[in-house]
Amino acid sequence: MTTQSATASEVAPDVPRAIIGFVLDHLVWLILFIVLAVFSAAIDQFFQIGIFINILRQATFVGILSVGLSMAIMAGHMDLSIESVMAFSAMLAALLVGANGAGLGLDISTPLTLLLSLAFGAVVGLGNGYLVVKLKISAFIVTLAAFIGIRGLGLVLSGGRSVYGLPDNFRGIASAEPLGIPVLVILLVTTYVVFSFLLRRTTFGRYIYLIGGNITAPFRAGIPVERIVITVFVLSGVLAAFAGWLLAARTNGATANLGTGMLFEAFAAVVIGGVSLTGGTGRLSGVFAGVLLLSSIDTAINVMGLPPHFMQVIRGGLVLAAVLLDSFKTVIRNRYL
Amino acid sequence: MTVAEPLLEVEHIGKSFGPVKALRDVSFSVRPGEVVALLGDNGAGKSTLVKMISGTLQPDHGRILFEGQPTRIDSPATAKKLGIETVYQDLSLCPNVDVVSNFFMGRELCHKVLGFKIMREREMQAETEQALRDIGSHIPSVRTNVEHLSGGQRQAIELCRFVHWGGKLVILDEPFAALGVEQTRRGLELIERVKERGIALIVITHNMLHAFEVADRVVVLRHGIVAGDHETATTTAEAVVGMITGNLMRQAVA
Repeated sequence: MTTQSATASEVAPDVPRAIIGFVLDHLVWLILFIVLAVFSAAIDQFFQIGIFINILRQATFVGILSVGLSMAIMAGHMDLSIESVMAFSAMLAALLVGANGAGLGLDISTPLTLLLSLAFGAVVGLGNGYLVVKLKISAFIVTLAAFIGIRGLGLVLSGGRSVYGLPDNFRGIASAEPLGIPVLVILLVTTYVVFSFLLRRTTFGRYIYLIGGNITAPFRAGIPVERIVITVFVLSGVLAAFAGWLLAARTNGATANLGTGMLFEAFAAVVIGGVSLTGGTGRLSGVFAGVLLLSSIDTAINVMGLPPHFMQVIRGGLVLAAVLLDSFKTVIRNRYL
Repeated sequence: MTVAEPLLEVEHIGKSFGPVKALRDVSFSVRPGEVVALLGDNGAGKSTLVKMISGTLQPDHGRILFEGQPTRIDSPATAKKLGIETVYQDLSLCPNVDVVSNFFMGRELCHKVLGFKIMREREMQAETEQALRDIGSHIPSVRTNVEHLSGGQRQAIELCRFVHWGGKLVILDEPFAALGVEQTRRGLELIERVKERGIALIVITHNMLHAFEVADRVVVLRHGIVAGDHETATTTAEAVVGMITGNLMRQAVA
């Protein structure tokens, strides 16, 4: 006992350490609340329930994409295909039942379109996962190929045309607001709650962190590393497809370039949310705050009537700030915790 | 020691990596409750041999018998199932998670709810704390991420894992590489304690002193073959050094 080297962590008292640790773990939330407070004070008409609900609703699509992307990154990989999977899944669903444009106007039920979309996402995820795990190709390359190819596949499917005019019960999913809360927001929050639970409380989640931290150790411990990684890619694909299906409902159809740029918004949200690109760290709660932060700034720019180009600049700045903040956090942690 | 049936028998095993013959023809056995020190110079084939017993490599020829049965150990998971626990030289820890997660890696206690395995964190924490106390290790908080721990503390977790999960056979690959004098002494005591539970141990080491202190038998590898296999009581450190370097092979065998 006496020979064990005394680290700095033994010296600091426990309670302030716990508080510092908590604040560092949830720094993005702190920033989000400060930003919202500043907006509320500075921008006329900003502080109202409607605006906050809108922030959440706007966050739905990038929000759901970010969940899958986060898991892929936590497991030490990445998934660039999500944006194209989302767009294709929207196109697939819209094309089948859409009345106008390139739509086929088939008489199939809305749940079936959801099922088909999700199945498509699962197949893409399975393919990505298989290539990454079994053929040991870098996830960056595999999913980049899928990103490019599937966007093209969507164009092939629709002939480059748009689809609009979805059945009422499909469209209604995006517009319904039971008790004043949009269904989209309920689904977004539910997704985060469910996947946070998976990541923090179940062995599946634990294994994702272990694999992202040092893949050799869980392999030697007899954990089915390959199966876990493939499952992560499948879930990422399914979540992207789900986001796409909701996006079709929201936009009452699908266009050839639907959702372009959302991949980088998702990346921004994930990094701002404190998920390190090296894998094995981060929490979905942080990612959620990151998504809301981006959405809040978006909304603020809208409310102020500024040109949307500002958003790009701000996003870039935020990503950089997030990375700087991350190294700053490490410094604090090493010094005080 | 009572002469029991061998727990593990390795028969004429060989392994090549391209043109390099890491192991030519190796046979040896381990009985329950026996400590075998595996010695040999760098490149003698010790790590390759251990990897085949622990399931990370497959032999090109020869066979492994476990509890008398010919066994294919095709993955670390299979090895665990058989009761073979390995502590690697380069430590099998994930620095990004806490001590509890590392201690229970692959063996998490959980409730099954609707097919989901929900972890019982409190129980795991309590058990980890108890296990670390048992081996006399001092880690301030088992909720600290391993990246914030010292080399010695990390090794302590690794050693604690094998003491706790023992199984039937424990393989230790250079277990004391990162340990100080006092911790090494405690590590050697742990080996004794595990052995008393009837668990067999294979200890790879460069340290002749350690080998003679804990081992019942020394097996010396040289250039991919067994250059010597002796009870520690019937040989000397000097003779073993000779076997390792190849000088005294004749005398040692005779």
